[in-house]
Amino acid sequence: MTKRVAFAQLSSCWGCDQSLVDLHFSLLEVLPQLEILYWPAVVDFKLKDLEGLPDKSVHVGFVEGSCRTENDLHLLKVMREKSKLLVAWGSCSCFGGVQGLGNQWTLSQLTDTKFFKPETVVNPRLPTENVPAFLDKVAPNPQHVPFDIILPGCPPSSKNTFDAVTALLTGAPFDLPQKTVCDQCTRTREEKRIKKFRRTHEGKIDPKKCILDQGYLCLGFATIGFCGAQCPAANAPCKGCFGPPPGVKDHGAKIISALGGIVEMEPEELRAAFPDPIGSFYFVDYAASYLSRITSKEDSKK
Amino acid sequence: MTDGERTIKIEPVTRLEGHGDLTIRLTKTGKVKDVQFNVTSTRFFEKFLEGRFAEEAPILAPRICGICPVPHHLASVKAVEAAWDVTPPPAAVKVRRLHINAKQLSSHGLHFFALAAPDFLAGPFGDPAKRNVAEIIKALPDVGKLALHVMQFGQDLSGSVGGRPVHPVTSVPGGLLSPFSEEKRDAFLKQLDSLKEWTTATVELAKKVIEDYWDPITKLAVVPTYYLGTHKSGNLEIYDGQIRVMDPEGKIVADFKPKDYRKHLGEHIPDHSYATHTFYLPAGYPEGVWRANTLARCNIADRMATPLAQEALEEMRAKLGRPIHATFAYHWARVIEMVQAVEEIEMLLKDPDIVSTDVKLSDVQPKKGNGVGCVEAPRGTLIHHYWTDEKGVITAANLIVATNNNIAGIEKSLLEAAKQIFEKRAHESLKLPEPKIR
Ligand code: SF4
Ligand code: SF4
Ligand code: SF4
Repeated sequence: MTKRVAFAQLSSCWGCDQSLVDLHFSLLEVLPQLEILYWPAVVDFKLKDLEGLPDKSVHVGFVEGSCRTENDLHLLKVMREKSKLLVAWGSCSCFGGVQGLGNQWTLSQLTDTKFFKPETVVNPRLPTENVPAFLDKVAPNPQHVPFDIILPGCPPSSKNTFDAVTALLTGAPFDLPQKTVCDQCTRTREEKRIKKFRRTHEGKIDPKKCILDQGYLCLGFATIGFCGAQCPAANAPCKGCFGPPPGVKDHGAKIISALGGIVEMEPEELRAAFPDPIGSFYFVDYAASYLSRITSKEDSKK
Repeated sequence: MTDGERTIKIEPVTRLEGHGDLTIRLTKTGKVKDVQFNVTSTRFFEKFLEGRFAEEAPILAPRICGICPVPHHLASVKAVEAAWDVTPPPAAVKVRRLHINAKQLSSHGLHFFALAAPDFLAGPFGDPAKRNVAEIIKALPDVGKLALHVMQFGQDLSGSVGGRPVHPVTSVPGGLLSPFSEEKRDAFLKQLDSLKEWTTATVELAKKVIEDYWDPITKLAVVPTYYLGTHKSGNLEIYDGQIRVMDPEGKIVADFKPKDYRKHLGEHIPDHSYATHTFYLPAGYPEGVWRANTLARCNIADRMATPLAQEALEEMRAKLGRPIHATFAYHWARVIEMVQAVEEIEMLLKDPDIVSTDVKLSDVQPKKGNGVGCVEAPRGTLIHHYWTDEKGVITAANLIVATNNNIAGIEKSLLEAAKQIFEKRAHESLKLPEPKIR
């Protein structure tokens, strides 16, 4: 039986779409089983076509991106109404994504930098005609509407999406692994005692040994093992772009507490090594952190 | 809205990467009043890059666009290197060039086959349910397979160099975290003959399409604008060169180093779009509106950098002149650039330096400064400008992305097309071929 599917993009980079298209010849297996009801990148159906569908008439809806505008939120709600199963597709959808880093500032600080500050701008102003209003903060989509499945990754690998789609087509269960990136990484590890952190431009990373052991911040130990340890395999530290393993509520808090156990540094030294703890420890999921929610509350008190 | 006026909303514009709606306003008498391309979101990268370690910017920046993450990765790393006065080893530059050409190939393949070809193969007025790449794959398996081969080669190569096909991680200030291995090089060298066959087949298909659609190509949405693009000693260039601006008559009016972009580029903020419109500053807005992307590059460059691409460019110029203002010629230019990408990929894969392990400086010092990094993304000139403090932390960023450099020009060509369609009903008299799929 063909499955009726919809793919919707909120504020996003379309990388999750690109990753799906990267299935290439495997698409030939999947596509014939899908009836595409909405997918702006590929098919010419419009928003009103989606809005016009009966409720729950889409078997599986995929939501990429997070809500930065009122239109995003509207589209998300429509997708929830129309879909039997709703998938948070990619880390933007699951956790807010990189744009969640914007939650460190108020909306007017964000729009100021974008529309009023740049030297190249000749007529500073905030566009208002036929454009939706911005939401104050980015929140993970599951805080706006309930989801049935979470598929993290920035983007999820082609294989991740293929496996998820295949499971959904056949009705097989789809569970996220409990593993971490370290479990998938082939580098040799030692008992960790880090005395000093180095930044990626400093020195050269030994391609055989654990990157964290060498003093570079590799977040494989605190990140869900779902990507096949792609970055360490390319001699680059894991940035944590797939978010934490299931059950971990706050990625950055988990990273900081785990680091406490393996570094031999004074708290001041550690603080000096990371002048940017938010950017360093919450790459795609600051919007999902307790910290972000606390600041939101403070903003709304103002 | 005043009485009798009509607004047509296209929401969202489909088969385009990015978010946008189209608003067309018609007067009582059915004349086109204006056309707006409403870019309906922005994610504020300029702000949240602030406070980050500058070497992290090349990891964050690809998330601006998942269809062209490689150019963002490279423009970003070049900006940091410029700010810190760092020159990466020559072999690293070659690998980066391989990276950007691989992405150019896959992106142009995606655009030609998935975004443009459905209109040509199913006909521009075909059923929306049929007018898409999924249907092409079903109805025309040979074309479908060709599309998949071209896109896959580009993405696989790009992924091999960058660590992952989307959102690469290998370039850092001072070079690359990992060299391109001999095994990988050999694996791609083995596919070179097939790649060249696919390219030839793509060129043949494109020629057929151009012949079939000659009427709309030469008559619809022919819009004179300024053009923006990068060249190296006159050759079309995508990684590292000078920026040129050509006026609508075809005269080169500016030729400058990327770091001097502020003397030549202005950003106008329309009331109806979150993407700003850039333009040629001395000419003012909207007179100085330019277009970037494939056709613009083919216009501003004296010649292509490789022989087969040059033949193809000459053919296009013989038929359409220089500069070419026909919006539909973008598709032709895209295929010409695909040929250049394939030729450069071959040259680079055969260069012994491509597997050199000397790809990273071990001593890179962050410093206070500012730097501009510029490359050509498939969809146009990309500028990253960062300011860093003495620790190498970003204090401010200015980003000019391909959309900014195109959107005003797109609006202009849409206005022209809308006038032709709504007022003159030009589409009814155009000669169109029989659709290949129904
Ligand atoms: S999760 Fe990552 S790849 Fe997917 S849309 Fe968001 S930024 Fe792009
Ligand atoms: S910390 Fe990084 S390099 Fe070390 S084992 Fe984990 S993933 Fe691999
Ligand atoms: S290794 Fe880490 S940063 Fe790289 S893709 Fe996997 S989760 Fe993302």
